[in-house]
Amino acid sequence: MLKLNNIEVAYLNIIRVLHGVSLQVEDGSIVALLGANGAGKSTTLKAISGLLHVEDGAVTDGEIEWNGAKIHKKNAEEIGKMGIIQALEGRHVFGHLTVEENLIVGSYNRKDRGAIKSDIEMVYDYFPRLKALRRKMSGYLSGGEQQMLVIGRAMVAQPKLMMLDEPSLGLAPLLVEEIYEIIRRFNTERKVSVLLVEQNVRVALGIAHYGYVMENGRVVLDGTADFLKNNEDIKEFYLGLSAVGAQKSFRAVKHYKRRKRWL
Amino acid sequence: MSMFLQFTVTGIAVGLVYSLIALGFVMVWKSSGVANLSMGQMLLLFAWFAYSMLAQKGIPIWLALILVLVFSLAVGWLMERVILRPLIAQPILSLITVTLGVSFVITGLVSFLWPKGIAALPRLFPQNPVHIGSAIVSQEYLWAAVISLMLFALLSLYFKYNRTGIVMRATADDQKAVQACGIAVTKIFSRSWMLAGALAAISGVLMASIGGITFGLVDTGMRAFSVVILGGLDSFLGAIVAGPIIGLAQMVGGGYLTPLTWPGVNDVIPFIIIIIVMFIKPFGLFGEERIERI
Repeated sequence: MLKLNNIEVAYLNIIRVLHGVSLQVEDGSIVALLGANGAGKSTTLKAISGLLHVEDGAVTDGEIEWNGAKIHKKNAEEIGKMGIIQALEGRHVFGHLTVEENLIVGSYNRKDRGAIKSDIEMVYDYFPRLKALRRKMSGYLSGGEQQMLVIGRAMVAQPKLMMLDEPSLGLAPLLVEEIYEIIRRFNTERKVSVLLVEQNVRVALGIAHYGYVMENGRVVLDGTADFLKNNEDIKEFYLGLSAVGAQKSFRAVKHYKRRKRWL
Repeated sequence: MSMFLQFTVTGIAVGLVYSLIALGFVMVWKSSGVANLSMGQMLLLFAWFAYSMLAQKGIPIWLALILVLVFSLAVGWLMERVILRPLIAQPILSLITVTLGVSFVITGLVSFLWPKGIAALPRLFPQNPVHIGSAIVSQEYLWAAVISLMLFALLSLYFKYNRTGIVMRATADDQKAVQACGIAVTKIFSRSWMLAGALAAISGVLMASIGGITFGLVDTGMRAFSVVILGGLDSFLGAIVAGPIIGLAQMVGGGYLTPLTWPGVNDVIPFIIIIIVMFIKPFGLFGEERIERI
């Protein structure tokens, strides 16, 4: 189980971007982290995976616990070996490597060499499209295929917790559905917990068990997916459904801040 | 005609050694973005080290060569671990400048440890020259060419099939994504520095067995820079192709022009070629295509 206990994160020791975030991911569950741009979702993921250090950021207060061990002082390599693997936002494929080589890089840290082959086959099972492209240079794949590859690369690392940063970014709605269905299958079939950062609230809550809403570096709302889906504010501000179903007036927009019940 | 053949063979052979040096440079550049300006000095250091093992200590050749290789791996490792890793988040210019500093340190160290400044390696290869058609070529050139080609083959297999080799290429593409996979990029850096060190040692010994050990080996390193620039900073293929081009230009052009112009013209020719190439292809002949989907 992953547990964030009131963490604060600052970049360059000055710019504080997270002001006490607490959340937890139960084993085998899918948790969605929602919120607008700049809310601190990606920073939260990087704090967990240890990639903050690369960007001159640090957890300045609070602690992150993974199965009882404190990990917020560890670097990305150690955390990766403990089974937490992050897929970065924005399709970071290794453009000059083939699809299969990308997957091999994903499995680099594993000790059980024998099982890697079968796990690469497993990724091809989940994403049949990648199998056809296995010898192709990944830089020339389409956006959707690259996103599949990035997720597949996290899968072959045999994570216990897979963190995905906006897997739906810039993809066609049908493809988003497809990818999310695969994430859900991976979660149930392999018992891998998933922590998901997403702007597309509808699809995210479609597969998540639990969700957190972040704003300005704080968690402002959390609850089960069903609770969030039915929350008036979520409906209005994230799902674009007005409470009364009437056309929005500019007066209402002006009162955006005040109308949020959680502030 | 025999002159031409001779210039061609020696040019290609020397060029292949340039390619080896250039490969060491490209490897570090690709994985960590650092331009290693001390490549020429590393060549000099390893050549002298080989000299002291072979000539001064009188260790058997095979053991001495293994020791040189181990020493070069250790120097490469130390470079990364002690000098570059503490600077890891600093501006890239600082890192490059540090390698320049290292080059001065090595120059000083070499003058201090081997004050005579010039020496000949004991013969590593059989002495009798080989007749190729009408040309007579000493065996060192041929061995240098063969060994370089074998190393290219080995390295390309390494980068194609070895897991660490693949990760090294991945690091060249996207460092951060490699870290996100839970891989320590510092280990990859250190691996590429060690390989660069070994390549510098092998090419240093080869060049020294051709032309003796002098400070001219540093210039050889410089010429490898021109290979790198001609071939494209980030291209292994470029390094391999551009080496013989520079070697040929130097030997053939120099061989014919020296009697007509002035001695030393052969050192200028590669740079003239580079200037022309830079006008036409600023990224070098094989500068990596930036994959961009539109």
